[in-house]
Amino acid sequence: MRLYEYAIRRLVLMVFVLFMLSLVIFYLTRGLLPPTSALASYITPRMNDTAKLTLAQSLGVATSSCPSFNDFTREMPECIVPLWEQYFLWLKNVLSGNWGYTLLPGITGTETTWDVFFSRFPYTAELAIAGAALTILIAIPFGIVSATHNNKFPDHVSRVISLGGYSVPQFWFGALAQILFVLYIRVNGLGFLPANGALATNCGICISNPGQVFALTGAPVLDGILSGNLAYFWDALVALALPSVTLAITSIGALTRIVRSSMMEVLRQDYILLARSKGLKDRVVIYRHALRNALLPAITISGLLTALLLGGAIVIEIVFSLPGVGNASLVAANVLDINYLELYVLVTALIIVATNLVVDLLYAKMDPRIRY
Amino acid sequence: MTELKETEVPKQKSGSVADVKYAFHLLKENPLVIFGFIISVGSMLVAVFAGFIVDPNTWKHVDLSMRLCWNNPTFNWGIVNVFNCAGPVYALGTDSYGRGVLEMIILGIPLDLQIALEVVASAVFVGVVFGGVAAYAGGVLEEIILRITDIFLAIPGILLAIVLLVILGRSFNILTLAVAITWWPTYLRLMRSQVLSEKEKPYVESLRAMGAGPSRILFRHVIPNSIYPIFVQATLDIGGVILTVSALTFLGFTPSPLIPELGNLANDGIRYLFTAPWLILFSGLTILIISLGFNLLGDGIRDVFDPRLRR
Repeated sequence: MRLYEYAIRRLVLMVFVLFMLSLVIFYLTRGLLPPTSALASYITPRMNDTAKLTLAQSLGVATSSCPSFNDFTREMPECIVPLWEQYFLWLKNVLSGNWGYTLLPGITGTETTWDVFFSRFPYTAELAIAGAALTILIAIPFGIVSATHNNKFPDHVSRVISLGGYSVPQFWFGALAQILFVLYIRVNGLGFLPANGALATNCGICISNPGQVFALTGAPVLDGILSGNLAYFWDALVALALPSVTLAITSIGALTRIVRSSMMEVLRQDYILLARSKGLKDRVVIYRHALRNALLPAITISGLLTALLLGGAIVIEIVFSLPGVGNASLVAANVLDINYLELYVLVTALIIVATNLVVDLLYAKMDPRIRY
Repeated sequence: MTELKETEVPKQKSGSVADVKYAFHLLKENPLVIFGFIISVGSMLVAVFAGFIVDPNTWKHVDLSMRLCWNNPTFNWGIVNVFNCAGPVYALGTDSYGRGVLEMIILGIPLDLQIALEVVASAVFVGVVFGGVAAYAGGVLEEIILRITDIFLAIPGILLAIVLLVILGRSFNILTLAVAITWWPTYLRLMRSQVLSEKEKPYVESLRAMGAGPSRILFRHVIPNSIYPIFVQATLDIGGVILTVSALTFLGFTPSPLIPELGNLANDGIRYLFTAPWLILFSGLTILIISLGFNLLGDGIRDVFDPRLRR
């Protein structure tokens, strides 16, 4: 099989997984919840029962022969459109970008789920990318040091940090950072960091009046650079510091372990012995010869890391009150905003599945031993 | 011709007695494993005897006049508007319902550990059975099972668990179910790879030649011979499950905020982060210690039993 055949096969599988997931999530939100929950984000207080019935019919939830809204709420069999018909109508809408209205901002029937979700998405994306960057920058050197100094002091330190990162509850770490930086350092008048929010306000080391930027991307740090407002950029970066470190700790733990074990495995191979016996320096052997091969297994877990970062973002956004999609998903969960939950789950899944696809293709390209 | 009995087929063991003895020797040599062992056994002992250490009904005594106070003189938080309360000294302060934090943590440990063990046990069971069947049967069945796991691996576990809790209702049983549903694909993949290599061994062929059925070969011979990495992974995962469960209850997916559960206490604490920092500090610290204990134990066991890492 050639690489492009493999790529096509994987692409088909990816579409299949997303399709199956959409079935699962549709069944959970529309099949298990009462049919009226599909209407919740459209109903305004002034609607009477006739208007509600018309609404249900236009949404494709109630049949055209349904006599009254009461019969619909009582789920009379002649009133409810079969679930599979609902699914295909929903799928058609969803694929054309129509995800319905959301319950989130408080005024029902005005804001589309798509707009609300993607106005919040840049914050989460920025947080996750910052977390991923920190993970890579910290975990790979730690893993290498741990492997090259096996069972010596640096190894112990790095193992404790990696295991600790793997075991620490993120909400606790975030809360602790806030207590430390806000409650104590601030009281002592030191350069403290902001406790919450996407742009630093009320903080010791940020610029008091950073001014305004054009909301080009919606992600504060990126907007600051793109509009050339360095004060704004600095403040956004300062505000991102604690949340991204908190988000990264779990994935740092996971990646350090992988890098360590694969590095140890590579260092035991014959070609490393050959490189050493040629008289090459340790640095060259490790970074030139061993590292490239040792990083290959680490690449395979990037799908897992993406899932860790995107899932962890929910907790982090709550702890640091960031206006991202995860924070809103909790509100959506509490008010049963099924449109929002569906969009959130499917976009997250798309990101993870696409990451896996890209990574697997890269892996196949880089490692000629791979048979696919 | 004499008839061979099935029991006469020598079972393949993953290690001899000397090997196991050597493994235990290595385990005893590693201080981190001993540390992890002490923590995990200790937390289980606390869980078993929690009802004897603390009156199990304390959590129902809500006394709002005693809320959020710290009267332990050994430490001063430096918070200006800290509430003071007369009466008995609360070692770790009180929560927003006026209950002692130490008592609530002790009562919370058995609940979290029970949920974690239930989640891991059910995930292991499903993963082992379906992973074994997928690898042994192969073909269409394997393809179907693997594609189903792909669906579950495509979204973060915590997000799927949130959706399930929203739709099925907020109770600890559903919490257990929701987390278990997100956890079994790990074991399925591990079990599948184990069985794939195990089923090619000669003893399986001789079993088949003697007329043993596929389910007998799989469940009586192949799975018992290839299950030990699953147990190692399960030990490693108890910490992760405790973290996921407490994160979910921290986010508010709990039947009642009054129930003493570690994530619940932390949820209470994040609201009073700057007025009563001890609340989240100690409940989170307990989660960290328990989770670290199981991770240290599992990590050490894996290092010792994985022949590639042992030197």
